[in-house]
Amino acid sequence: MNVRSILKGGAAAAVLALGLGSSPAFADNIVMWVNAALANGPDAPLYEELKAFQAATGHTVEVQAVPPIEMEQKLFVALSGGAGPDVMTLDIAWVAGLADAGLLADITEKAGPIASQYQPGPYSSGLFEQKQYALPLYTNNVALLVNDRMLADAGIQKAPATWQEFHDAAVAMTNKEKQTYGVSFGGNRMGAFQLYSFIWQNGGDIIDAEGKSHVADPASVEAVDFLAKLYTESKAMPDSVLTAGNWDEVHAPFVQERAGMVVTGDWALAAVAKANPDLKFSVHPLPAGKQAATVIGGFDLAIKANTSVPEASFELVKWLSGERSIALMRKYNRLSALKKAATPEAIAALPPNMQPFMQQAAAGRARPVVAAWTQMHTDVFANAWDSVIRGKPAKEAMAEADAAIKNLLEK
Amino acid sequence: MSARTVPPSGLKPTWSSIFETGLGARAYPYLMVLPAVVIVLGVVVYPVLSGIMTAFYDVTLRSLNSGDMDFVGLRNFERVFADPNFVRALQNTVVWVILNVVAQLGLGLALALLLHRAMPGIGFFRSGILVPWVVPSVVAVLTWRWMYDPSVGIVNELLVKLGVIDAYHPWLGDTATSLYAVTVESIWKGTPFVMLLLLAALQLVPKSILEAASMDGASRWKKLWYVILPQIRVSFAIAAVLTFILTVNNFNAIWLMTEGGPLNSSEILFTLAYKYGFKRFDLGLASAVATMLFVGLVVATTVYLKLIQAREED
Repeated sequence: MNVRSILKGGAAAAVLALGLGSSPAFADNIVMWVNAALANGPDAPLYEELKAFQAATGHTVEVQAVPPIEMEQKLFVALSGGAGPDVMTLDIAWVAGLADAGLLADITEKAGPIASQYQPGPYSSGLFEQKQYALPLYTNNVALLVNDRMLADAGIQKAPATWQEFHDAAVAMTNKEKQTYGVSFGGNRMGAFQLYSFIWQNGGDIIDAEGKSHVADPASVEAVDFLAKLYTESKAMPDSVLTAGNWDEVHAPFVQERAGMVVTGDWALAAVAKANPDLKFSVHPLPAGKQAATVIGGFDLAIKANTSVPEASFELVKWLSGERSIALMRKYNRLSALKKAATPEAIAALPPNMQPFMQQAAAGRARPVVAAWTQMHTDVFANAWDSVIRGKPAKEAMAEADAAIKNLLEK
Repeated sequence: MSARTVPPSGLKPTWSSIFETGLGARAYPYLMVLPAVVIVLGVVVYPVLSGIMTAFYDVTLRSLNSGDMDFVGLRNFERVFADPNFVRALQNTVVWVILNVVAQLGLGLALALLLHRAMPGIGFFRSGILVPWVVPSVVAVLTWRWMYDPSVGIVNELLVKLGVIDAYHPWLGDTATSLYAVTVESIWKGTPFVMLLLLAALQLVPKSILEAASMDGASRWKKLWYVILPQIRVSFAIAAVLTFILTVNNFNAIWLMTEGGPLNSSEILFTLAYKYGFKRFDLGLASAVATMLFVGLVVATTVYLKLIQAREED
């Protein structure tokens, strides 16, 4: 070994030592995919939060924003190929499919001690076959947005709180000559998402805890029939119910003041206000049927099954879903899934239009966490809804849906 | 005796001198095309073969992740044929392709003949007619989606004002009209490309032949049928084959306008394969449909080109 090689080795060792010395021990780099809405620019609150995380833990986080519409597919493809992020935000409806394919890390043991801090509904969205795969980043549900002027013009004093009032208000706001309608609703999978709440409100169910389908039960059929007849008989929904395939199209008649009500979530508030700043509307809990119920949505945080940085990844998940999520999600006009976020004081601190969502959070129901849920939703329920609004009897459509769901459950 | 060239005295032999004579010279052209061949094998041949192979295996996300993929023979094809949506998609694909190819070729030819004239401002019209083709397909499709809107769409407004319909109609939301509504957009988008190909071919038709036909008293229709069409038949065949392939593969139009709905009324094989693959993540099933599409495209294209070739030889 000559002098030059000794010097080279010494220099490399010095650089390595300096590098290690400048950061805390076991500092890892975490690749994180987030839905683009959370990382919409360099000033997005998420980046500030990650800076705090990095300062506290020494880990670095590399954020990659993915459009929500592409995210499910990209996650499945990337993770199946052994690539993809260490940590990901994912719609609560995708957890079961990804977990079933063995693509998510089982965090049951790590999550156990902190489980009690989350609201039960959102927490259960990360549970698949008795194992915890995700923790809730934020939660949402659907409520009723009402055009105050149209409601008053129809001679109705208060927003509907029951199905009968909802029906009556929808019919009262419908005027064929003026081309106004009572309620804007989605077609296909959008409509399917909106109708789940009504099935539960009527005492019906989709799939119970034992994995049994209930979509052909009389209560479920009655709920679907009630909604479909608002279009097929009362003509209280605009024709856009036949085609509206995204939230913008579902909201459009409401924004244009052609529909007096819309069943939607907190994501609509900013969109509606931006599209029609002059629109005077108010937000109310969904009108209750036999009981109150609303479908839970939102995003979870999960970890890749074979991540090389499992400990750091869980630290990040815990950080983002923990106490700081209340303030972080407020900056996005979204709701933290912590129990602390649902106390009367916390609800009172929310903007007025956000309060009804959190007020009805206790009535929130998660969609079934089964592996084939995406297919059940997009193929089975979407087609059932499309069928009934085109005149097929609800009993027949739901019987077919029941058979299809049983077939998928058997697989 | 060595085949290598002897370098002029005083000069060192170079690497390039190896390829100047003998085996090196024979291998030289193959070496030059080797990178291209490797790339084509990697990005075209391998994916095609891999896709065909996948059609015979049970490939789902779970099996893909575990690496435990079972050979299932023709089971995926059996499952595809047992799916009523496949039969619907197959019928729709036939209707979709026939309407698109016939309309685009017919309109493309008519426009090419119309614009193959010397008149003031013809350049403006030739450029203007290309606009649909130039507009990005996603923009075009989403624009048409709004134009078809059942409440505020301009299509309904125009048709009502023209007295064609009495009331607004949900063109994309009606199972009886959704496929045809998307077809109109596809024809609008694809026709300028056909027109461009045929216009270029028309420019090459010798004027002397047309003048001779005129002197012989041929009518416009006879000139078109007996003089122009035979002269542009090769370009016409190319346009037909390209339109056929582009139509079968026109995923954007259907997916962005209807996603194959409502109730599968506008489903074509390509969108069905996408749903199998990227909605259900049943890649074996998706590959079975894609393989059938691939074979169908190859057979149809080959038969058509052979027919053209045979006619040319006659």
